[in-house]
Amino acid sequence: MSRNGPVALVYHALFVTFMLAPIGVVCWVAFTPEGFLSFPTDRWSLRWFAAIARYPEFVSAFWRSLWLGALSSAIAVAVSVPAALAIARHRFPGREAFTALFMSPLMIPHIVLGIAFLRFFTQIGLGGTFTGLVLSHIVIVLPFALRLTLASAVGLDRAIEHAAVSLGASEWTVLKRITLPLVVPGLASGWALAFINSFDEVTMTVFIAAPGTETLPVRMFLYIQDNIDPLVTSVSACVIAVTVVALIAMDRAYGLERLLVGRGNHGGTHGR
Amino acid sequence: MAFLALDTLTKHFGSHVAVDRLTLKVEKGEFVSLLGPSGCGKTTTLQMIAGFVEPTSGGIRLEGRDLLAVKPAKRGLGIVFQSYALFPHMTVAENVSFGLEMQGVAAAERAKRVGETLDLVGLGAFAGRFPRQLSGGQQQRVALARALVIRPQILLLDEPLSNLDAKLREEMQIELRQIQRTVGTTTILVTHDQGEAMALSDRIVVMNHGRAEQIGPPHETYERPATPFVASFLGKTNLVSGATVRPERISFAAAGLAGTVRTRIFQGNHWLYQVDTADGLVTVIRQNTGEAMPGEGAAVRLAWRALPPQSSGEVSASSRTEGS
Repeated sequence: MSRNGPVALVYHALFVTFMLAPIGVVCWVAFTPEGFLSFPTDRWSLRWFAAIARYPEFVSAFWRSLWLGALSSAIAVAVSVPAALAIARHRFPGREAFTALFMSPLMIPHIVLGIAFLRFFTQIGLGGTFTGLVLSHIVIVLPFALRLTLASAVGLDRAIEHAAVSLGASEWTVLKRITLPLVVPGLASGWALAFINSFDEVTMTVFIAAPGTETLPVRMFLYIQDNIDPLVTSVSACVIAVTVVALIAMDRAYGLERLLVGRGNHGGTHGR
Repeated sequence: MAFLALDTLTKHFGSHVAVDRLTLKVEKGEFVSLLGPSGCGKTTTLQMIAGFVEPTSGGIRLEGRDLLAVKPAKRGLGIVFQSYALFPHMTVAENVSFGLEMQGVAAAERAKRVGETLDLVGLGAFAGRFPRQLSGGQQQRVALARALVIRPQILLLDEPLSNLDAKLREEMQIELRQIQRTVGTTTILVTHDQGEAMALSDRIVVMNHGRAEQIGPPHETYERPATPFVASFLGKTNLVSGATVRPERISFAAAGLAGTVRTRIFQGNHWLYQVDTADGLVTVIRQNTGEAMPGEGAAVRLAWRALPPQSSGEVSASSRTEGS
């Protein structure tokens, strides 16, 4: 075990504070009884949590964000599997171009995508629809899904599939019984990262969402444009609470490190 | 008619010739090793038999049938891969059972045969484990059981022991030989380890640059190497007075080539000497019989029996020595 010196400890403490302080402050402010963002506050109240009930659009936006993230991530992962297997195993003309195309949403500013999608969806009659939201979110989360799926597809020992073939398995059986089960950890990681990115997205979504199809971040963004009361902090605190509970549950069930790094459950050295 | 016949089998990768007109006949029940340094084409040959690599030209026949016309999944060959290639998400029993399942064997019969085969490789008690919970040697046995359980016409072994440590490798060699004798499956082993090839095989195919340099039983190939490459690849050789001599065939004698012992290394069952002579440095191996041996700096005289003179070129496949 190497030990950290005092300088390193101070540095780490500052770093962790820098990361966590804003979250802590938001949660603290959420408990203020005042009608504005007052910090620090020495009086406590659940007033702004109760206030959420008077704004059902926040609750429905939360569910919409959840569905949007789950659905667009699932579709992105489904698209990623054949793409990743093809890119990982075959050398074909246009391979580099395909990979670059799938990764390009990372490079394009979301505000540009937002304007482009707004124009495009209006043109084809999908403006302001949930379908439009899903389609646009598939595009922005695809790089995350593909990257992790690709990592597990590249790490797959071809000899394992050859072994299955030599034992008499058809191509379809190999895919179903061998290949897919072995890339599932990558798919789960890809889905999780894609979901987080979708749930978080506001820059592009604010152009595409219409009243009735607003996601939670968009709803919050629009709210603080017109209001200065601490409602958004209590909403934020709720989201943070849900996230923490979900992370703990996933860590218990599966192992967070494994989920987010995309390590398989058959690495051999990584026993739990 | 030979059981398995490779006929002028050739594989080009672009301009590189991986396997060059390899002709080989394997009898039923025979254990044949493809031996050579990396890049000699032995693994490519194995993969062509397995069906994972398409030959550029030439043919492969199994019991007279054209094997190249059969899909890899239908060839009915058992393969043990260098990496073992076990299915990591399945238990030992599920791994071994997989091939039987593909053949449509009923569950009760499957369980029986899986149990028998695991007992054969000494892993009866490990059926419920996952591969990651096994040692390298145990994983190796699972791979062997998985290949054998389908009662393959041919067992293909691709460097199966190269990931094991030296002691375990020796044990597995003996065990592998016993298992192969028990089940009697025709076996082709790919290896770069000449000791392994000699220990296990009925016949050895020494390969270099995609060609078979010599095909013959281990003892004969060792004693009568057809080419300088075979002589040097199958054990150590000295070139003294224009003759090729194995180090263990040189003895310290009253008369003979004069020399001085430069180094003497004790290796348990034998002594390894390096002797300075007028012909250059000569390696000598003497059995440790418990007698006193010349020390470093001692003046010695060397006598030997040389290997028979080699034919200058390579041997064609037709001039090979047939195994018994």
